[in-house]
Amino acid sequence: MNRKAKWGIFGLIALGALVLLAVLPGGAKQEFSVAEEFTLHPIIKLPSLAGVDLSVNKAVVYLWVTTAVLVALAIVVSRTIKKHPGRFQYSIEVLYELARDGIVGGVMKSGKATWFPYIGAVFFFVLASNLIGLLPLPLGEHWQPAYYAATANLYVTLTLALFTFVFTHYAGIRKNGLRYFVNWAPPSAPPVLKQLIWVIHAFGEIFRLVSLAVRLFANMLAGHAILGVFFAMALLFQNYLAALMLQGGSVLIYLFEIFVAFIQAFIFAILSAVYIGGALDQEH
Amino acid sequence: MDAASAKLLAAGISMGVGSIGPALGLGMLISKALESIARQPEVSGEIRTNMFIGIGVTEAVALYAFVIALILIFVA
Repeated sequence: MNRKAKWGIFGLIALGALVLLAVLPGGAKQEFSVAEEFTLHPIIKLPSLAGVDLSVNKAVVYLWVTTAVLVALAIVVSRTIKKHPGRFQYSIEVLYELARDGIVGGVMKSGKATWFPYIGAVFFFVLASNLIGLLPLPLGEHWQPAYYAATANLYVTLTLALFTFVFTHYAGIRKNGLRYFVNWAPPSAPPVLKQLIWVIHAFGEIFRLVSLAVRLFANMLAGHAILGVFFAMALLFQNYLAALMLQGGSVLIYLFEIFVAFIQAFIFAILSAVYIGGALDQEH
Repeated sequence: MDAASAKLLAAGISMGVGSIGPALGLGMLISKALESIARQPEVSGEIRTNMFIGIGVTEAVALYAFVIALILIFVA
């Protein structure tokens, strides 16, 4: 039997299997609410302090896991450091060099050594949080696997963005003194226009904070929501062929989400570096 | 049209119309960046870094539309 005939028979069998899958009666219709995946139920109930609910929920556990993984990684890497790196040490070194030379070294002019610890820490934290968010942990109702990312929560990303916001102005005031605020408007502009530019810049600083937080939050939320919609559709159609295709699609989206996790961590860190670098070396 | 269906319709429209601008912008941005990398491969690292900054800023516009769609569906 030649190769062509083999492939023909294989194709016929595959086609037959697909038709069989399409006409096979599907399983019971099931409900899967995507929005339910993002509502936070308290896992450990704690009393609220001054109106702030302190209960431990999914997002908190994901943050703990992220922190634990990062701390363990840092200890393991620093203890087992070798002159001739193995595969593990080399991959960590690539990420470290990306943070040091690609992000801080490529964007900032002065204060590289001062601000690399913060920007590197933010890069690794967001990256680890995004990647751990792609793993389902048994935190759902009745301890079912549920997937969530700490960075798919606006409060977490807003806190991270607030760090960058505060550090930007701290760096600017420490380097340039109170001239930092005067320098928001170009000194050569005519008086009325200068004040207008200053006000626009001040609003711009607030919107930088909001956009930094919302970008990361919405990216991670959108990725998880699309995965959830694919799973929900697979359950909804009651058809094995549609379920197979949707599961295949969800695998592709999952791979794309790994790429997005890297890109978003990179963008968050590089924009933090751009903002802090801009406050240190003011153009006007 | 009752209020609930108007909300869903508005969410769909906001997402769809809100994606047009960022999509065009991203297309332009990446095509220009690739063009300049092809023209000057020796500065490709710098161009790529700046391209990612631009992608982040442009893409955020579509994500605002996404957030507004979510607010319309679940909060409003």
